Amino acid sequence: MNITLLFGTETGNSEMLCEDIESEFEGDHDFTISSLADVDPAAMETNTFHVVVCSSYGDGELPASAQPFADKVEKTKPDLTGLRFAIFGLGDSDYETFGEGSHQLADLLVAAGATQIGPRIVHDVQSGDLAEDVAYPWFTERVAEAEAAMEDA
Amino acid sequence: MTRKIAIVGAGPSGCYLAQSLLKLCKGDEPQIDMIDRLPVPYGLVRYGVAADHQGTKAVTRQFARLFERQGVGFVGNLSIGAEGDLTLDALREAYDVVVLAAGLSRDRKLGLEGEDLDGVIGAGTLTRCWNDHPDHADDTVTHGKRVVIVGQGNVAMDVLRILAKGAGEFEGSDLSDTHIDRIAAAGIEAIDIVGRSPAHLAKFDPVMVKEIGKIAGLKFEIADLGLSEGQDDPRLEAVTGLESSDDPRCTVTFRFGWTPTRFVGEGHVTAAHFARADGTETLDIPCDAVISAVGFRADDTLERDALVAAASDIDTGRLAPGLYAAGWFRRGPRGTIPENRTDSQAVAEAIAADLADMPEVDKPGSAALFARFDHLTDYAGWQRIDAHEQASAGEGRVRRKLADRAEMLKLALKAMETTP
Ligand SMILES: Cc1cc2nc3c(=O)[nH]c(=O)nc-3n(C[C@H](O)[C@H](O)[C@H](O)COP(=O)(O)OP(=O)(O)OC[C@H]3O[C@@H](n4cnc5c(N)ncnc54)[C@H](O)[C@@H]3O)c2cc1C
Ligand SMILES: Cc1cc2nc3c(=O)[nH]c(=O)nc-3n(C[C@H](O)[C@H](O)[C@H](O)COP(=O)(O)O)c2cc1C
Repeated sequence: MNITLLFGTETGNSEMLCEDIESEFEGDHDFTISSLADVDPAAMETNTFHVVVCSSYGDGELPASAQPFADKVEKTKPDLTGLRFAIFGLGDSDYETFGEGSHQLADLLVAAGATQIGPRIVHDVQSGDLAEDVAYPWFTERVAEAEAAMEDA
Repeated sequence: MTRKIAIVGAGPSGCYLAQSLLKLCKGDEPQIDMIDRLPVPYGLVRYGVAADHQGTKAVTRQFARLFERQGVGFVGNLSIGAEGDLTLDALREAYDVVVLAAGLSRDRKLGLEGEDLDGVIGAGTLTRCWNDHPDHADDTVTHGKRVVIVGQGNVAMDVLRILAKGAGEFEGSDLSDTHIDRIAAAGIEAIDIVGRSPAHLAKFDPVMVKEIGKIAGLKFEIADLGLSEGQDDPRLEAVTGLESSDDPRCTVTFRFGWTPTRFVGEGHVTAAHFARADGTETLDIPCDAVISAVGFRADDTLERDALVAAASDIDTGRLAPGLYAAGWFRRGPRGTIPENRTDSQAVAEAIAADLADMPEVDKPGSAALFARFDHLTDYAGWQRIDAHEQASAGEGRVRRKLADRAEMLKLALKAMETTP
């Protein structure tokens, strides 16, 4: 399957997780990795499965590299019908707004017509788990669901 | 030929720089060594970021990859510069490229009368002490009952939060009992946090103030709100939203629009004096301690100011051929960890571009350093310190840091010792 990994990050954890996912599943899929900052929402292809990894900053806000993307979606209101995505959050449960960044982004994509595949989960930096250990099984499940959904379509 | 690159300073800028260089030079990776004067890496992530912000410190998991999987070397316990173990020129002899990512390790002085009184201390020094930096183990102040904090940036908020928390509020942190007990013993009753700007222009991030609002047993007083009349700003909202406890043990007063003028006392500080910028009003706060959180500057070891003044292109980090600067050392004491990432990526691009035109000379790299010195430590040495610190963590703490350099070195040099 064609998979585009998109990251929204400030300190680089989300980008590293995308790279980890790529190396872990390299043999099985064709991957492209981009920063959300470089993505034109209107040009997102419906024949690739988009997997977004995004952290939270400030008081539950989007990380800096995801902000221009969100602004573009809000301003240009692209029709994302047919686009399938899954989203994985990075966060810190010390903040009351745990995982709000990825939550906001998911809502935004769904409001623009995209279809979310499976649940969003958020890695908690306080948990002691490595993000990749949480993300790999999640990723495998989402890919299976996306494959099924794309076959049905 | 494999290029040899030395990065002086294993803080976030140095780590991001190494990460970015390896990405840009994929297929033709240079040998990168990160050199630090301490036997432990990560700079202010370990020694600046507050003990109760472990989430922020977790960025070191990312940096550990460099050493554990990406072939970057760590050369610890080696200080570079005129007063250090090795001069910068000698280091440049051994490497194709040297990058100075040594941060800014001194507190900026206010240049005011009374600044050298006992009881007046810089926030960088104090937070290094709280973080168990081996050079600052005893650099603290007797807090007394009344503390004044000068400055209202995020570092000032860190200081306020640690001083204002109760002894039981450090669960999950790595603040040692020595520091907690010392602060608790003072029984601080009043903390005034005083800044030059009006509330709506203050330097703190609102979320830092909201976090202070969660501490139990505090009464908040917010003065000088008149300066922000008619303004609508998240910072203003954050301070006005602070809710006082019914049964306070300590009063925290935010004061805005005051410039410090002098500190008064005989031997030990007894009051901090402030004035309005236009001189119309003055304010004297009796106190037992003053903590100034007004920025940072370089120590003189690497002659930073001269190097930066003579730089060929400081915006891209180019100081001289083969010599670069990154992070706080390059751009001054501004910006959080994410800003160093962007900064280091730009400097890495400059280096990668210049490498193409650099003459091919066979430089010895770290072999020259290990041949010359027998006190150097490596990444495995840090891993032993790290494991020891985590294993000896007290109840409710994530680690117990070694604050004594000799103890750190004993662990770090262990495997390197040769039996007679
Ligand atoms: C008290 C405090 C709290 C902070 N809290 C946060 C926070 O919560 N979140 C956030 O994002 N940012 C925070 N910051 C900012 C952040 O720490 C800095 O942006 C960042 O550390 C700067 O990185 P650097 O690599 O340039 O310098 P540093 O982190 O200072 O690293 C410099 C390294 O160089 C080494 N070194 C210095 N001189 C020499 C020499 N002559 N030879 C060899 N090695 C040398 C030092 O030992 C050190 O390891 C805080 C800063 C301070 C001071
Ligand atoms: C200043 C600051 C504010 C943060 N705010 C939040 C937040 O509101 N909610 C949350 O879940 N995580 C928050 N975090 C935690 C980050 O999202 C978490 O550390 C994440 O791993 C960072 O990933 P990144 O490197 O990809 O940006 C915050 C971290 C910092 C340093």
